[in-house]
Amino acid sequence: MTIRTASCRCGQLKATATGEPERVSVCHCLACQQRSGSAFAVQARWSADQVHIEGQSKSWVRSADSGHTVIYHFCPDCGSTVHYTGGNFPDLIAIPVGAFADPDFPHPRVSVWERRKHPWVHIPGDDVEHSR
Amino acid sequence: MGSDVEEASTLTTTRQASCRCGQLSAECSGDPVRISVCHCLVCKRRTGSAFGAQARFAANQVEVSGTSRSWIRTADSGNTVTYHFCPECGSTVHYSGERFAGFTIVPMGAFADPDFPAPRHSIYETRKSAWVELPGDEVEHLPHM
Repeated sequence: MTIRTASCRCGQLKATATGEPERVSVCHCLACQQRSGSAFAVQARWSADQVHIEGQSKSWVRSADSGHTVIYHFCPDCGSTVHYTGGNFPDLIAIPVGAFADPDFPHPRVSVWERRKHPWVHIPGDDVEHSR
Repeated sequence: MGSDVEEASTLTTTRQASCRCGQLSAECSGDPVRISVCHCLVCKRRTGSAFGAQARFAANQVEVSGTSRSWIRTADSGNTVTYHFCPECGSTVHYSGERFAGFTIVPMGAFADPDFPAPRHSIYETRKSAWVELPGDEVEHLPHM
């Protein structure tokens, strides 16, 4: 069983995920751009019982356009978001893939909100589902 | 119409970056002096994404408002970088460092603008995730810095 540990930059907040993620996706929406500071966000979802959290976090709650709320947990010392839950995946925990600091992390199979995609970003691959 | 476009292009562009909850913002006047993507492991952890994308401005082009908390990282080079993030929602909105004295760097995503100018430099490609591509003849690709 694969075990991967995500952490914030300063290392005090960690999320250890056991097994493979159910979904790895890229999101180009404006909220994900603001959360990450990057051109898009990329995240992996596991069942909540596959994820073990350690360390202190502060939470921030966002109401999505859908009416769902999403609760983001970030490190109060360095600001990195390490896990979040809610939205349309209440029984799952999403972890920003960058928190694993692993260029070989399984690639995303879904790319959503492409109407907000920066034109200079390409997510190639025959097995990637693209939606606007 | 052509003259209108020319006239508009001489005006100073002002762009607003902010955290997700909106209390911390950075108003940037004029165009950035450099726009880059960085694939290093630290930028991955900061953003949670595959890479960091950021715009560098002269410090006097940027006016920050709101409350921030700072986190200081010492790079492999020994230089320090000070990141300023919103204590309420966690978004990093600006940072500066000894290597970039006199400049303020703003994460591109904080502008929430898909039409923000494209990066011209892509660094630390030794850490690039294989599934993302940054095409464009004008992009400089570097294995490290």
